[in-house]
Amino acid sequence: MAGLATTFGSGAMTNSIAEIGRAEVILVIGSNTTEAHPQVARRIFDALDRGSKLIVIDPRRTALARQAHIHLQHRPGTDIPLLNCLMRLILDDNLHDDVFIEMRTENFNQLRDMLFRLDPREKAAVANVPLSRIKQAAELYGRASKAVICYCLGITQHICGTDNVQSIANLAMLTGNVEKADTGVDPLRGQNNVQGACDMGALPGVFPGYQAVGDIIIREKFARAWQTELPARPGLTLLEMTHSQGKTIKGMFIMGENPLLSDPTLARVRDTLEKLEFLAVSDIFLTETAELAHVVFPAASFAEKTGTFTNSERRVQMVRQAIKPPGQCRTDSDIISALSRRLGYEMNYESTAEIMEEIALLTPVYGGMYHDRLESSWGLQWPCFDRRHPGTEFLHKYNFARGRGCFVPAAHQLPGEQPDREYPFLLMTGRVYHHYHTAAMTRACARLNRESPEALLEINPVDAGSLSLVAGEMVKLATRRGSIKLKILISEQVAEGMLYTSFHFTEAPVNLLTNASSDPKSKCPEYKICAAQVEKII
Amino acid sequence: MNGFILKKDNLVPLLRKLRKGGRLVAPVQNRHGDTMFTAIEDFDRQHIDLKNQAQASLKPFFFPQEEPLYTYQNKKGYDFKPVNSSEPTIFFGLRSCDLTAILYMDVIFSQKSPDPFYFERRREAVLISLGCSRPFANCFCNNSRSGPFLEYGFDLQFTDLGHCFFVEADRARGEELLERWSCYFTPATEEDCRNKYQVVLEARSSFKQTVHVDQAIKKLTADIDLESIWKELSSRCQDCGGCAYICPTCTCFTIVDQPVDDTHGTRLRQWDSCTFAGFTRMAGGHNPVDYADHAIRRRFLHKLKTDVEKHGRPSCVGCGRCVGICFGGVDMIRFIKMVNELPAEEGK
Repeated sequence: MAGLATTFGSGAMTNSIAEIGRAEVILVIGSNTTEAHPQVARRIFDALDRGSKLIVIDPRRTALARQAHIHLQHRPGTDIPLLNCLMRLILDDNLHDDVFIEMRTENFNQLRDMLFRLDPREKAAVANVPLSRIKQAAELYGRASKAVICYCLGITQHICGTDNVQSIANLAMLTGNVEKADTGVDPLRGQNNVQGACDMGALPGVFPGYQAVGDIIIREKFARAWQTELPARPGLTLLEMTHSQGKTIKGMFIMGENPLLSDPTLARVRDTLEKLEFLAVSDIFLTETAELAHVVFPAASFAEKTGTFTNSERRVQMVRQAIKPPGQCRTDSDIISALSRRLGYEMNYESTAEIMEEIALLTPVYGGMYHDRLESSWGLQWPCFDRRHPGTEFLHKYNFARGRGCFVPAAHQLPGEQPDREYPFLLMTGRVYHHYHTAAMTRACARLNRESPEALLEINPVDAGSLSLVAGEMVKLATRRGSIKLKILISEQVAEGMLYTSFHFTEAPVNLLTNASSDPKSKCPEYKICAAQVEKII
Repeated sequence: MNGFILKKDNLVPLLRKLRKGGRLVAPVQNRHGDTMFTAIEDFDRQHIDLKNQAQASLKPFFFPQEEPLYTYQNKKGYDFKPVNSSEPTIFFGLRSCDLTAILYMDVIFSQKSPDPFYFERRREAVLISLGCSRPFANCFCNNSRSGPFLEYGFDLQFTDLGHCFFVEADRARGEELLERWSCYFTPATEEDCRNKYQVVLEARSSFKQTVHVDQAIKKLTADIDLESIWKELSSRCQDCGGCAYICPTCTCFTIVDQPVDDTHGTRLRQWDSCTFAGFTRMAGGHNPVDYADHAIRRRFLHKLKTDVEKHGRPSCVGCGRCVGICFGGVDMIRFIKMVNELPAEEGK
């Protein structure tokens, strides 16, 4: 988010999902799209059926990588040297877009100077990918008239996540693959509404619509509407809260999150939550986090409420109540309003449509979004400034949101932790198709749980051989922060020296092991890399 | 053959009469624009849609996605009581593919000992089909020999002649209906019969898909090497099970017990699919099927090879629903085309 916001002026996906199906070349980096975003993967398949070319950059040989025309299986954490090498080869072949760079961007010289100073062979060696393969990718992407880049958490969940994103933006601008239909840079957002949560200001430094808390005019606008004083200081980021261990935070209200499975270095999260004077959790199931709470609010599920979700392509869609909430369950907005009333601030909305009207009033990019407009359609894509505005299919048409796109060169940074003699493996974490985040919902579904009943540790056959492990064996997986037991899956999906597992399972909570180092700008934790050892259980 | 003519104006009045003899199920377009087979409660408010293909087939009416088979009680040993949820039903507006699928399910559910739950519903069903004079976008029933019109199997078959329906009966129940409600019908003239055949001929030549099912079956029977196809399609399969759930002839199921308390519970039958890894995974975790490369192998081979060997015809009825539902593009049309593009080789 932070990376694209600096470069383009907006952190959201620039394209619509349907545009991906019409691109000539699709570059997927750090995304296991078929498992994590199947509805985006379908557009990639559509494009392949139409003859488009697919480049996948991923340390694992995923199902999508097997479909790719070029798969660059690089070493985790070397995205920046790899992308810089790719850009250098594009420059060498004169495949960059002079006119675009001249008319729409700034700071190109700095990037060019950096690229000309680097040695492609050396960078290829750092990334552990043959230079000839990178060259093929550079030619394919550089020559395309319409190219799209999709990326996901494999890019952002690194100590250099923001720089990774900026390198991707550099590549797109270098070749003029932004600002036009069927070209762009697409961070694939997880969950049905993570984009919506960000849009509504569920970030430490902004009000709804990415309006800065620090801006006095903005703050006064919101203060007038809400008839209350608002703090000028941005809030805390995730780990500043869940790793605070009693230092700063005394009470927490957690809604629809399960940090006791999802946040890195779980021991610190548990310590933090246990030290709280008061913890309230609202969720549809009693999660690991909810079990620690003093008060639990049973929340209504998606099918039990009316409102909107905003998906990855900035599309705001209505969801209508299909069934009544069971028992004492109440919708999230109901819970918040009731709480607020008891705390002495009257929140009184007759319907969620009224809340939407307030959003439209205060949030320029949502200015034309009203329930009556959303009801009879497949939704509207922001920015949508007023009632007559048709919504926006792709961002940055004619010019970037910030004016000119800014090249921000980035240099390689070592991950927070590197394999060594004691912890010789590099452990990556991710998700599986059948489970959703901390699996509070999906593990309650018998069929999904049957499909994927337990955590599996992917290990290369060579490594399994040298540790004399056999298929399906239980092993002890340890890092400097702890250990868990889980079953191995011997698979060529991971390269030698690499391990991969998912964080869905409370029986094998891999976030006990992950590292808490995080990107200094976005504060996103480095879930994708830590040093680990595998031990046979005797 | 004895044909009859039903004026279009008389369709709803006739259906209203038929509904007195049981539940009436017909394709109805709901307020979101989706056409689904639905029980008609109110002819004025529900719009019977004979222009679009129903999104799901009639499978769930005979073999529900989840059905209670028994309730059980444990006093001294288990005591099972069967659940009967069947009622007399008239199905109107099903298509030839849907009907062929039901005839296929009759065969599957009657192997060894007939399935009482299925056949209870089947016995109480009257099937009135509507031949397809205008095939839908993904249909290929002419190639799978299950449409667009049928010669047998229906109680009544309707053919749209524009201003009226041509109606014919194949089974005794259909004959009975024609006789009981003869006031609505007039005997078809020779010209009507000629018109009907003209509609059938034109329908056959208006398919948008050409899918050479028989050619693929021949190749599959010759055991050609399909490894590349399995790999390609399995890596595109997203494991959602949509193809099996939407397929009118996929009948795999699993049985689970749902306890209500320590001594009571319900035994449920639920749809299952061979494309799920959990379908074949054994208790120790071993899976005899390699799902990375062979996730969809059994599904296609069952439809086009096993069933041809066992029952003399493929169990794909050419409805095209899997084409519409699969978001990885792993559908019957693609598979058949891929098989037919493989070079012919000698049988192994």
